[in-house]
Amino acid sequence: MELMKLEIVTPHGVIFDDEVKQVTLPGSEGEFGVLPKHSTILSLLNTGVIVIDTKDNKEISVAINSGYVKVEEDRTLCIVDGAVALSGDDNNLAKAIEEAKELLQKATQSNMGIATAMSKVEHISKTL
Amino acid sequence: MANLKEIKRKISSVKGTQKTTRAMKLVSSAKLKRAEEVAKRSKVYALKLTELLNEIAQKMNNSSGEIDNIFFYENPNPKVVDIVFVSADKGLCGGFNYQTIKRVNKLRKEYSNATIRLSGIGKKGIAFFRYNNIDMINQIEDLSASPDYDKASKFISTLVEDFIQGKTDKIILVYNGYVNMITQEIVEQQLLPVDSSTVELKSVSMSELEVEPDDDDTIIDALVKKYIDYTMYYALLNSLAAEHSARMQAMDAATNNAGEMVKKLTVKYNKARQEAITTELIEIISGMESLK
Repeated sequence: MELMKLEIVTPHGVIFDDEVKQVTLPGSEGEFGVLPKHSTILSLLNTGVIVIDTKDNKEISVAINSGYVKVEEDRTLCIVDGAVALSGDDNNLAKAIEEAKELLQKATQSNMGIATAMSKVEHISKTL
Repeated sequence: MANLKEIKRKISSVKGTQKTTRAMKLVSSAKLKRAEEVAKRSKVYALKLTELLNEIAQKMNNSSGEIDNIFFYENPNPKVVDIVFVSADKGLCGGFNYQTIKRVNKLRKEYSNATIRLSGIGKKGIAFFRYNNIDMINQIEDLSASPDYDKASKFISTLVEDFIQGKTDKIILVYNGYVNMITQEIVEQQLLPVDSSTVELKSVSMSELEVEPDDDDTIIDALVKKYIDYTMYYALLNSLAAEHSARMQAMDAATNNAGEMVKKLTVKYNKARQEAITTELIEIISGMESLK
């Protein structure tokens, strides 16, 4: 399976930088998935959850407040204000989920977007 | 003759000061490392954001010849100029804060035919202008010691709103930036209008770039705002690193000076002791002489 590079950066540092299979992004005009060899696109990102399919078939979720994404054929670059990766072992995860909720609460966007993102985070916390 | 006891007391006092300055130097160097690290991590974001801004500006440039956006209009005769400065919350860092203040004053002279509005971050700078009865429209005190993205963006956003509404024509940011462990450099940066020379117009094939939402202004407005927020935040990080490096230097110099002073005082102390002994000897000898 083909891979592409995904970078997620925030003002506080790089959150994610690795090869991935697929990524689903909360675009301002609707959620969209990106596979390798996607056409170039630049989009605003709403508050939501980025879902990453990593190269070793794991699923990582990253909660973000708002930002941009620039998709190129072999590279996807997300520039976001704040992000919390929901991964790691149980202890860290619980903490990360709390942080993610806090981040989403602070977001200034429509309640719908926040609610959707929240329910996703809740879902993740239940499935693990 | 200087009193022996007096000199001894002075020596121990200087030694005490030396201990304090040495400790402060160590604290600053540890803090500097952390501040440097934060600034470095944050730099990645800056690079990517500028890259994105360049590309989108490039795209707009292609369609209309020049960048057609409110944030890029330069007013040749600015009527209202906003100066935003970043200073430290604490002193004991040499000329660090004064350098910034000096530059702000220079800018105030430069734009003396426009209305100047000051916004300050950091106790020291604010205290200076308050003492000199110069009004500030915005001030915040506890931000420069612990930079915070949200607070920085909130601070600058009121000015950005003013710019959009035409209440101000120019926003200039002044801070003392970090170059390396021993050098700080004053940075004077025009925040708004965005200096189009900072936007590199490289010829990249952009024909296939899709933009969502499909409205250039929405996306570039948001992007420029983010760029400004971030520039403000980065100025804080940079200034904090510079503050620590300046304090480290100042404290290093103070420690050295204290060492020298201790040396001088010790020599003085020894001389005085010597003198006392000589006097005593002479007294004894002359006493013996008179008994003969």
